[in-house]
Amino acid sequence: MDWKRFLFIALIIVLLFTVVVLVGSAAQKPIVIIASMLATTIAVATPLTLGALSGLYCERAGVVNIGIEGMMLSAAFFGWFGAIYMNTILKLPAMASLLIGLVCALLTGGLMALLHAALSITFKVDQIIGGTVINILAIGITGFLNRQLFFEKGSIFGGNVPHAPGTLPVIHIPIQEAIESVCTSETCFTIARAFGKVFDQRPIVISAILLVIITHFVLFKTRWGLRTRAVGEHPRAADTVGINVIMMRYVNVVIGGMMAGLGGAYFTLESVPSFEPLMTNGRGFIALAAMIFGNWTPFGAWAASLVFGAAQALQINMQVFRDSIPAQWAILQNSYVVGLTPYILTMIILTGVIGKTVSPAADGQPYEK
Amino acid sequence: MKKIYVIITALVLVAMLMPACTPTAPDCTKADVLCVGMVTDVGKIDDKSFNQSAWEGLQQAKTDGVADWVQYIETTDAKDYAKNIATFADAGYDVIVTVGFNLTGDTATAALAYPNIYFIGVDQFQEWPYDADTTNDIANLAGLNFPEDNAGFLVGALAAMMTETGKIGSVCGTDLVPPVWRFGEGYRAGAAYIDPAVEVFVVYHSDVGFDKTFTDPEWGAATANTMIDNGADVIFGAGGKTGNGAVTQAATRGVYAIGVDSDQYYTLPEAAARMLSSAMKLITPGVAELIGIAKDAQAGAAFPAGNYMGDATYAPFHDLEDAVPADVKARMEEIFAMLLSGELTTGVPPVKP
Amino acid sequence: MQPSKVRTFFRKLLSSALESMLVPLLAVFTAMVIGGVVIALVGGNPFFAFIGLIEGSFGNAKALSETAVWATPYIFAGLAVSVAFKGGLFNIGAEGQLAFGAVTAALIGYALPGWLGIEIPAIIHVLLAVGLGGLAGALWAAIPGALKAFAGGHEVINTIMMNYIALNLTSFLLNSPMKDPDPTNVSARTPLIAEGARLPVLFDGLRVHWGFILALVVAFLVWVFIWKTTLGFEIRTVGANPDAAKYAGINVKRTIVLSMAISGLLAGLAGSVEVTGLNYRHELGFSMGYGFDAIAIALLGKIHPVGVVLASILFASMRNGATRMQFLTQIPVDVISVIQGLILLFVAADVIIRFIYRIKSRGDRVVLTRGWGG
Repeated sequence: MDWKRFLFIALIIVLLFTVVVLVGSAAQKPIVIIASMLATTIAVATPLTLGALSGLYCERAGVVNIGIEGMMLSAAFFGWFGAIYMNTILKLPAMASLLIGLVCALLTGGLMALLHAALSITFKVDQIIGGTVINILAIGITGFLNRQLFFEKGSIFGGNVPHAPGTLPVIHIPIQEAIESVCTSETCFTIARAFGKVFDQRPIVISAILLVIITHFVLFKTRWGLRTRAVGEHPRAADTVGINVIMMRYVNVVIGGMMAGLGGAYFTLESVPSFEPLMTNGRGFIALAAMIFGNWTPFGAWAASLVFGAAQALQINMQVFRDSIPAQWAILQNSYVVGLTPYILTMIILTGVIGKTVSPAADGQPYEK
Repeated sequence: MKKIYVIITALVLVAMLMPACTPTAPDCTKADVLCVGMVTDVGKIDDKSFNQSAWEGLQQAKTDGVADWVQYIETTDAKDYAKNIATFADAGYDVIVTVGFNLTGDTATAALAYPNIYFIGVDQFQEWPYDADTTNDIANLAGLNFPEDNAGFLVGALAAMMTETGKIGSVCGTDLVPPVWRFGEGYRAGAAYIDPAVEVFVVYHSDVGFDKTFTDPEWGAATANTMIDNGADVIFGAGGKTGNGAVTQAATRGVYAIGVDSDQYYTLPEAAARMLSSAMKLITPGVAELIGIAKDAQAGAAFPAGNYMGDATYAPFHDLEDAVPADVKARMEEIFAMLLSGELTTGVPPVKP
Repeated sequence: MQPSKVRTFFRKLLSSALESMLVPLLAVFTAMVIGGVVIALVGGNPFFAFIGLIEGSFGNAKALSETAVWATPYIFAGLAVSVAFKGGLFNIGAEGQLAFGAVTAALIGYALPGWLGIEIPAIIHVLLAVGLGGLAGALWAAIPGALKAFAGGHEVINTIMMNYIALNLTSFLLNSPMKDPDPTNVSARTPLIAEGARLPVLFDGLRVHWGFILALVVAFLVWVFIWKTTLGFEIRTVGANPDAAKYAGINVKRTIVLSMAISGLLAGLAGSVEVTGLNYRHELGFSMGYGFDAIAIALLGKIHPVGVVLASILFASMRNGATRMQFLTQIPVDVISVIQGLILLFVAADVIIRFIYRIKSRGDRVVLTRGWGG
């Protein structure tokens, strides 16, 4: 992604924030609104970012992945199940249970991806089918097991709601203290408090941002990344120079699955301590859109996810400040109208400014020697 | 190699021939066997919300010895409502419970088609709004309804008395479902009754489809966060799992949380420590009670055709018993009594204008 | 033709039909066996379950009728996704096109006589409702098609976005301007459509309606269009290789818009037929998720109209029979999703089935989609 696109995306996000600040300024300090919206934006963008990274690893290696949704959903379930099982049945401490749950989620994502890889790479099944199979199976398996394990009398938890071991704790980054130490005015302290909260994020949110940077580095600065991209662009040429196309694709798809697994873990181990059937609610498809939107680059995908996050924050804040919306803007009180924003924005950005996106050349094609 | 197939086949056969553990249904067509069937709205029986509460009502009827056999069918698509009701009716069930206001029309049609079966429609108003004219009522159909606005009013008043920042919030499912809307607006009205200066944030999740609005805890948590960032220190979650997400998030951030439907102190153990109360609508006892009435009606007693009002109340304070001042408790009891006697009304219309 | 030649011809036809059906049938069988083991493992009785499933979908006239009712939108939506695939496009937006078609059909159905101020003859009214619903879907899909052709906007993103836009738009319409004004109405739904705008039922007392016949006819027409007409040839050529198509003098941009529009037309018809034939109104919560099921159905039917019809009936019978299955055994209906996923898996990865049952491969691998393409 070139700087123009980033500038445009940044502009859109600033615009969304400005609208809310203008509307909400009657009821709240702008600085508090901005800090709160930043926090929401980053949190909402997390599963989208991880889902997009999942698609990125797969597709950069030439395997289309529309099964992100299914991978996230199943990882959300098995991660949560692992954590609860460890905590309730094996009586492990909460933190240890959560970490084991996290591992379960990663493994689930990886295993689902392995199935996708086997279908797409070894059996050379149409790659869209592999993803669709994963999406359907994930809905069926998680719904079925959720019922059998947690609802039916006589199940391992006896039909009771088990006590979840909570969520992954906040990692405190002492930004607030740092700003406060140089503060002299009351405004400064307000700023410190507001922004201190933005940096108090939880592990998966922080790792999602780190993974964007790491993925960028891996894909574009390492031999491994060069090979991955070669396999996705010109598998035959890559094969000729001695790259193991099949192996590269398998490994990248499984890494991608683990990214989706981490995204799934966000739902049940970090955001809320419970699993609900269908709780990913189509975010895997939004993540797919974000990846394409970001033109198959990590930073692009992240930026796109942040646009969705900011739009979601807008939608929530517009309702919170509903009473402050001036009468001539009454249309903004309608949650359906505000709900349209992210989707229309995306279409405008895509067509008006960014224009054609270019997928890896061999994306979607099985490799045959 | 072939042996493997033989073994696999044998295993499969053994697995399939394993005796069924589920007890088989009695003959529901017999007069002395009371069978009760339940059709869910689009949604699952384990939704920790109204479908599950209603199902627990059926199970309670069975435990109490009122019903001999209870069974449910989960609706997967709205066009199956009529078919699912007919499945029970054709099998000779005596009482059929349908859950959710979406089934209002199909339940009434079925009640007319099967005059010998008693129908209980949960959250289904007969002749909206609150029709005093009972001549149109279908004799074998009772709509079980709840004054959600009263429950919302009660916890809204509680929230307004307990807030220190003067700001309270409510995270709701879609306002297209009347009971949810009544919870949300009742909450607003209750807070205004105590102190009009209290700022009330009410946010509905109506920007997604019906299938997603109640199953989005992550959105609920994000919305609760925004409210807390803006100073809210009491969060009421009213919208299935979306609301649950808000309630657990509120508890995590250390502000007061208020649950909905049942006493969520028990169903959301993660939030129990900060659970101030819950706006309860007593579906389970209401359903069980109506099944008992239907049984008596079979023997000739009267059946409450038309609308049957269930109870709505607020849950005990549990762990926060000591945190709630005595005068607040007294005030709550007073408001509750006034709402019950009709001396005080919430002013919330039954359906969003 | 001599009788012996006729016999040979039919024998060949039969054996080739058997051969091409063998793997899918074994795939269904294998998926059911695995599903049965899952059911048995949780203490259910798989035999009761499958008896319920079959009784509930094919057991009597009512069951058959309900299966056809389920199959009708599946056929339309499955064809919609298939046509797009044929043109090298991935239409994830059937869901939104269906909703938009349904809203339009409902609007025409209840409001048109009032606007015109005249009685509309039934046959014309129903054709208008169904047809304009389809056109609305076509329009909704042509937007991402045009964005793809002329601005390079990716159809996968744009159809997903259009789904959400359609969803919010229908919520808005059904909740305010188009809401049923009847004072007893509490739902977000339109008024009932006029009698004249309704597709008649096929048999008295059963819900199966002319939409099912229409679906079969449309499936045939799609086959004729895609395989027997120049436009169809152009769509297939663009789908297979856009560069070659350009070289051959085909207007690629126009063809892309056309493929999407036809795909949307079919999805829109799925919506308008549900409204005019079954529900007689559009209501929030009705007809949801078909757009996503349609992807599985199109792939299961190998994006061929005959395959789509068969796959639709298979999925429809499972969804319909699930009620009776649950009534008899109280098994969660989610097990149906597991079986459906496995069927798709085994049909797609026929290597697995051929390996288990030792069937030789005929060595023809059909390319269904081209990934994201260009």
